[in-house]
Amino acid sequence: MSNRYVYGITDGDPIEFEADAVRGGEYVYTVTHRRLGAVVSDVDTTELEETDEDAQRHDEVLREIMDRTDGRGVVPMRFGMAFESDRTLKNVLRGARPAFRRALNDVEGRIELGLKVVREADTDVDTEAIETAVADAVEPIADQSVPNGLFSDRLVLNRSYLVDRDDRERFDEAVAALEDEHEALTFRYTGPFAPYSFVDVEIGAGR
Amino acid sequence: MFILDDLLLRPFVGIVDALHTMALDELYDIEAIQDDLKENQLLYELGERSESEYRTQKDELEAELEIAREVHERLTSGRIEVKR
Repeated sequence: MSNRYVYGITDGDPIEFEADAVRGGEYVYTVTHRRLGAVVSDVDTTELEETDEDAQRHDEVLREIMDRTDGRGVVPMRFGMAFESDRTLKNVLRGARPAFRRALNDVEGRIELGLKVVREADTDVDTEAIETAVADAVEPIADQSVPNGLFSDRLVLNRSYLVDRDDRERFDEAVAALEDEHEALTFRYTGPFAPYSFVDVEIGAGR
Repeated sequence: MFILDDLLLRPFVGIVDALHTMALDELYDIEAIQDDLKENQLLYELGERSESEYRTQKDELEAELEIAREVHERLTSGRIEVKR
């Protein structure tokens, strides 16, 4: 079990806690290189197959890291990033240091929230009007937002928002008000997540 | 238009080959199956699909996805031959 599975990158004090980790791991800790920390658990392979259970564990560990770093933020890794040893991982931290620093700056103190607007089956709605109403209500509160795929005919809108922790309550209220105003629609409001949709650090070479 | 563009872009591939590949692409559309999986999840979360319906759908779609991936892998590696 000398391979390291990476959930995300943080800075500051190392963290450690017991968790239901990916591939049966039980302990999450930090491998650091000059204040940059990769939050990892031990795994027995570097070729991970994505199962629902492990994807969920990945998310849950990230959520716990977000709670524990309290505002410092975490740059989340996509599912499946595993490294052969501490040494290869530290090499990555060293090599991608500027990129991680930038990404940490972008996510500091922020969380990701998701909003899906779903229409009833077999009904027509004014998509444009709904998009405008949602944008007017929540975009001023969010720092950034990105569209996600409309994977179902029922979906009218599907976006992710990067929101300052301090603005979370205002965002909640804005979504609640939207729900009241549009009774025929279902609002599926999710999060907070680590800001997956807003950081894009690619690591791969030299794994 | 799409068909025409695709054929023009690949002048060295026979028309039959191209059409056959496109037909396979459509039949084993990975993205469409992934969308169906997400929709299944959404409808379950909204309480419109029972747990057993959700599970059955999920198993079926995952099996389809696996086959689709295999077909695409073979297509790109040239292991599926197009007969004339």
